[in-house]
Amino acid sequence: MDAELPARPAAVAPLLSVVVPLYNEEESIGPLYWAIVSALEAARVRFEIVCIDDGSSDQTFARAKAIAQHDPRLRIVKFRRNYGQTPAMVAGIEHARGRVLVTMDGDLQNDPRDIPAFLDKLEEGYDLVVGWRHQRQDKFLTRKLPSRIANRLIGAVTGVPIKDNGCSLKAYRAEVIKRVPLYSEMHRFIPAMASITGARVAEIRVRHHPRRFGVSKYGLSRTYKVLIDLLTIKTLISSASRPLSWFGLLALPAAAAGMGALGFTALSLLGGGSISLPIAGSGILFSALALVLLGCGAIAELVYLTGDLQVPRLARLTAVVTSEHAAPEAAALQGGSSYA
Amino acid sequence: MHETDAANANLPLVSVIIPVGSRHEPDQGPLNLAYRQALHQRGVTPEFVYVIDGNRDEVARSLENLSDGHNDVRIVRLAKSFGEATALTVGFEHARGEWIMTLPAHRQVEPGEVARLIDALAEADLAIGRRLPGAGAAANRVQSSLFHWLAKRITGEQFNDLACEARAFRRAVMEEIPIYGGQHRFLPILARRRGFHVTEVELSQPKGVPAGGFQFGRPASHLIDLLTVFFLVRFTKKPLRFFGLIGLAVFALGGVLLAWLVGERLLFDVQLADRPALLLTSLLVVLGIQTFALGLIGELIIFLHARHLKEYTVEEVVN
Repeated sequence: MDAELPARPAAVAPLLSVVVPLYNEEESIGPLYWAIVSALEAARVRFEIVCIDDGSSDQTFARAKAIAQHDPRLRIVKFRRNYGQTPAMVAGIEHARGRVLVTMDGDLQNDPRDIPAFLDKLEEGYDLVVGWRHQRQDKFLTRKLPSRIANRLIGAVTGVPIKDNGCSLKAYRAEVIKRVPLYSEMHRFIPAMASITGARVAEIRVRHHPRRFGVSKYGLSRTYKVLIDLLTIKTLISSASRPLSWFGLLALPAAAAGMGALGFTALSLLGGGSISLPIAGSGILFSALALVLLGCGAIAELVYLTGDLQVPRLARLTAVVTSEHAAPEAAALQGGSSYA
Repeated sequence: MHETDAANANLPLVSVIIPVGSRHEPDQGPLNLAYRQALHQRGVTPEFVYVIDGNRDEVARSLENLSDGHNDVRIVRLAKSFGEATALTVGFEHARGEWIMTLPAHRQVEPGEVARLIDALAEADLAIGRRLPGAGAAANRVQSSLFHWLAKRITGEQFNDLACEARAFRRAVMEEIPIYGGQHRFLPILARRRGFHVTEVELSQPKGVPAGGFQFGRPASHLIDLLTVFFLVRFTKKPLRFFGLIGLAVFALGGVLLAWLVGERLLFDVQLADRPALLLTSLLVVLGIQTFALGLIGELIIFLHARHLKEYTVEEVVN
């Protein structure tokens, strides 16, 4: 692996940063560390582990710190309180020093032995490789079924047909992921977000283990939030790169309705009839709406011009490539499957 | 001067910021002495930063006398009145201590007890006073409990006396939380949301000091402050989730009404032109779209500036 990838001038900089958000994972942290280290040392990759302690109330930080004192490759970022998964990811991405970033869950359900396959995929020229838990070890009714529906929906709406948006095991080129705007609870939509900045996305199969320690922190209750976020993402994707024309399109039907009603009023005036107040009033309202929307578009355009996401073009992803050629050690995992 | 028993020499320097606004004692000498004694008794070495908020000549003269007698008193004069939040911010810029105290320029709390706020810093990052038996006249108390109830509903944080001007906190709190407008009152809430440990300390009210009467107009400004905090806490996270939902609901209501009107026009031949309800429908549809557009602009601002808006605070980085 080392030989294939060009050496960096600064020899200390790791090639790979594994970013792991941790929230009350005191039992998992030890096994997790060893799993990552043994997998990556076997693959002979120069790596670092960036753990984010997301305001755990248990011994997570103390145990991680004890390990970090013996291994400088383990970097820990401790939050002052619990902020949630997306801020933890953002902090990890910010503190990571590698050229390639891998994110994974801290609950041992992802398997670090899959990481080399991700690196191979990035080598092929992709910017973002997403894991697909094709044999997911969770309850069907409360976890798998909702997520299957959600994935279909997310794929259809965002135009980035990923089979498994919920899989935390993902790999990115650092310069790509550091450009992706992430906030609030947007980590679920990283592929869609990344596609806005023109990233090329691939998907590979990964192992998935049942939970060994602790309890799952996420359940069904968040479905409705995901739906609203999806609407947000969709609107953002379509409007963020050219706000004025987006708002202009929205203003068009309003202007048509307003002009129509006002025209009708004018015609009935010319015809000697009486004016209908409700119709004339509606005409004025809709015309005003069209003007306000154009104004909104102008403001949004200003926001875009001063913002940090200067999208050169909106990447239009028509398909996600699922790998056909597997690296030898991960052959069992990567069956080819085309995705239509 | 007070060459006190340096028993607790390892306590850090405490900067006491005293904003001198419209409510103040004209002669600050006795109050300063009372604060000073209380702090010295705990072995605290204070420095005093007085911020005169606006043109107040009488109190300025008394403070100049005070600073002639003590070399640990500094006076900052603002050209015009900017309000307490700005006065505190300016005072903080001149404060050199590791720990900061803010104290009122009038006898809002018993001066002899203020050192208890410092004691609380052993376990907290910010300590705010809670006046017992409760602030002011009965009308004020009703208003105050309503205010704190609302604040809790909006922010989810329970405090009992946000208007108390006696606070003590670590330097990091104010370095991290910019306050302006009327936000000094919400410093405990904002601090807790940034992950700081905040605690309330019970302080007694001085006896024989007339409580402030019911001031007309204050509830209105408090409500606007609450609105500000609401937007700081809720809106800045997900504008589209908030405004988008309201907008969609209003739009849907208008849409249903419109469908009904059009249906009646087509099926029962009720003339649209005669129906004032048409105006209402249009208004709802227009309002819905506008609200959604507002939310979208807010969301776009956050989305396009996400890399400058840090949502988290890091306490420690290892390696």
